[in-house]
Amino acid sequence: MSNNIQEQIKNIMSTVLDVSLDKINSNSSPDTIESWDSLKHMNLIISLEEEFNITFTDDEIFESMNYKLIEAIIIEKKGNN
Amino acid sequence: MMELKYSEILKLNKELPKTLKSSSYTISIISNIIVHQIKEILEYLLRTEGINANVNIGDYDNIIQSSTKYKNANIVIIFWELSNILDGLQFKIELFSQDQLDKILEKTKSEIDFVFKNLKNTSLVLINRFSSIHFSSLNIKKNNFDLLADQLNQYLENKISSNIRLINVEKLIANIGLGKCLDLRYFYSSKALYTVDFFKEYAMYIKSYVMSANGKSKKALIFDCDNTLWKGILSEDGFDNIEMNPRTKDGAVFAEVQAIALAFNKQGVLIGLCSKNNHDDIDEVIKSHKDMQLRDEHITINKSNWTDKVTNLKAISKELNIGLDSLVFVDDSPFEINLIREKLPDVTVLKVPKELYNYPKMLRNINGLFYNLSYTDEDKIKIKIYKDQEKRESAKKTFNDIDDYLSSLGLKMTIFKNDETFIPRMSQMTQKTNQFNLTTKRYTEIEIQNFINDPNVIVVAFSLSDNFGDNGLTGLSIIVLDENSKSSVIDSLLMSCRIIGRNVEFTFIDFIVNMLKEKSISVIESQYIKTSKNGQVKEFYDNCFFKLDSENDSTKKYILDINKYKSKQLNYIEVINE
Repeated sequence: MSNNIQEQIKNIMSTVLDVSLDKINSNSSPDTIESWDSLKHMNLIISLEEEFNITFTDDEIFESMNYKLIEAIIIEKKGNN
Repeated sequence: MMELKYSEILKLNKELPKTLKSSSYTISIISNIIVHQIKEILEYLLRTEGINANVNIGDYDNIIQSSTKYKNANIVIIFWELSNILDGLQFKIELFSQDQLDKILEKTKSEIDFVFKNLKNTSLVLINRFSSIHFSSLNIKKNNFDLLADQLNQYLENKISSNIRLINVEKLIANIGLGKCLDLRYFYSSKALYTVDFFKEYAMYIKSYVMSANGKSKKALIFDCDNTLWKGILSEDGFDNIEMNPRTKDGAVFAEVQAIALAFNKQGVLIGLCSKNNHDDIDEVIKSHKDMQLRDEHITINKSNWTDKVTNLKAISKELNIGLDSLVFVDDSPFEINLIREKLPDVTVLKVPKELYNYPKMLRNINGLFYNLSYTDEDKIKIKIYKDQEKRESAKKTFNDIDDYLSSLGLKMTIFKNDETFIPRMSQMTQKTNQFNLTTKRYTEIEIQNFINDPNVIVVAFSLSDNFGDNGLTGLSIIVLDENSKSSVIDSLLMSCRIIGRNVEFTFIDFIVNMLKEKSISVIESQYIKTSKNGQVKEFYDNCFFKLDSENDSTKKYILDINKYKSKQLNYIEVINE
C-alpha cells in the first residue's frame, strides 16, 4: 500500500509538473524540478487532494514544497482514515 | 468533463492538439487575480469540440496593459474581480468615505472605458459581471461592496456593443454553490480565488459563445412525437388519449416542453419532427388537437413515416441545407438513441429523461447549444435603450494611451536603502520572484544582513503606492561597489509581479544611476541571466540603453558609462527617498 501511494504521488507530479516520471525521486523539490513554481504547486496540491480525497490545510500547502513532506502529509492523512 | 480530475484534464489536454488539424484559435484571459487553472480546462473542453484552442493568461493584475497586448486574440475574456480592484477592497470599502467611494467608482469606470477602447476591434470580448457575492452572500443590508458591484454592472450594461458580452458569474456560482466555487486558502497568500470546479463550470458556460463564434451553433431541434412531444402512443392510445394538457401531472411536463420548443423557434431555431407514425395521423394532431402548441407554422420539416430515423435525419439535413452537426434530436427510445449515436455521431442526441419532471430542465439547459452571437431585432432595441442611458452619463476621465492611464494612478515610489526592518521581505523577494528578475540569485536573511553590513554593498528596495493604497515592498536591487576603480555591479534587480506593467522599473534604474553618480561611480556593470521564467526582461538593459558587452546562450553582460545614461524621464512616478 505504501509503495502504491508513492507511485500515485509521483504519477501526479509527473503530469502536473510536466516532467518525466524518472526525473522524480524522494529528493525532488523546486530546486531539482525547474517547472515547480508557486502556481504549479497550487495545481499539484489540488491534484493530490482529488487523487487521495484529502484536504491540505493552508499551512500544509506552504510547508509541503518538496516530495518528502508531501508524502509524509499524505501518509499521515490516509493513515487517519 | 465535469467528472474528470484536474490532473486527468492536464494529461488529456496535452494529447489532444496532436489530433487537431484546424488552425489555432487564441483565447486571452486578462485578469486582476490568479486564474491560471482555467487554461488547460478551457483548452481541453474546446479541443474536444474540434476547436484548436490556445489559451494564454495575461500577467497578474494587468487588465489595462493586457488589453493592448492581447487585442488581436480571437476572444478576450476579462476576470475583473471586485475584491482586488484594490488589495483588500472587500473589507476596506466598508470604512471608505463617500469621497473615496466616488473615486474608486470613477477610476474603475475610466479603466473599463479604456479597456473597451483598446479591445474595440477584437472580435469577441467576454467580461464577467462584477459580483460581491463572494464576500457578502449572507449580508442582510446592502453594503458598500454590494453597491459598488451594482453601480459597475449598471455601467457595464451601458457599454455593451456588438463585440462585448457580459457573463453572469453569479448564475454559475448558484449552479454549483458558493462553497464549491471558492478556495480561500489561496486568496490571502496568492490572490487566487476560484476552484477547479468553478473553472470547469465557467468553461462549459462560455463554450456556447466560442462555438457560435466558430459557426458551430446548432440550428435545428428535431423531435420524435410519441412520449416526446406528448405522453402516450398515438397509434395505440388514440387522438383523444395522448396527453399534453397542462392540468394533468405528466401533461404539464409535455406542455412545458412544447412551450420551450416554441420559445427556441421564436429565437430562430428550426423545429422538425422525425417520428415513426402515419403522416396523416400526425398532421391531424398538429392541425386540430386542442392541447398541441407546436403548429404547422412552427414546424419547418415533418418526417413522420415508417422509414428508419437515420435515413430521415439525413434527409432533414439535406432538405434544410444544414450539416448533421447542426441537428439536435430528442427521442424517448433507447434503441433509436443508440442507433443514431452510432450511425450519425455528428448529431447531438438527447434522451427524454426517465424522471419526466427533469425533461423541461434538460431542454432549457441546452439553450446554449443554439446560442447565436448575432443580434436579433429585440436585442437591438435593448441595446439602444442602454446607449441612450450612456449618453446621459456625466463626463468622466478618458485615457488616450497607457501613459495617460499611468499618469492618473498617482504612482509613488518610496526608496529604502540598507533598511534592516525589511530583511525578511527582501530575502523572500529574492526567493520567490521569477519573472521580473534579471539574475535570479536567491539569498537568505543572513546573506541580506551581510550585504547591509558590508560598506561596499548597497541594498536598495522600494515600495509602490498609488491613489488607492500601498502595494508594500515590491522592488529590490543589490549593488556592489568598487570605490577604487569607480565601478559598480548590479548583482540583483527584481520586482514583484504585482506591480509590473507600470514602468516603475525605469524610474528605479534612474534612481540607481543617480545614486551611484553621487558616489562618484562612473561605470555600472550589469547582466541578464536567462532562466525558464524571466524571458520578459531579456531586453530590459537594452531598453535602458546599457551597452551590450558580451553575450552567450545563458548570459548577456552590459556596461554603462554613467555619463552617457539616458533617462526615460517618466514624469508620472514620484520618488520619495526615505
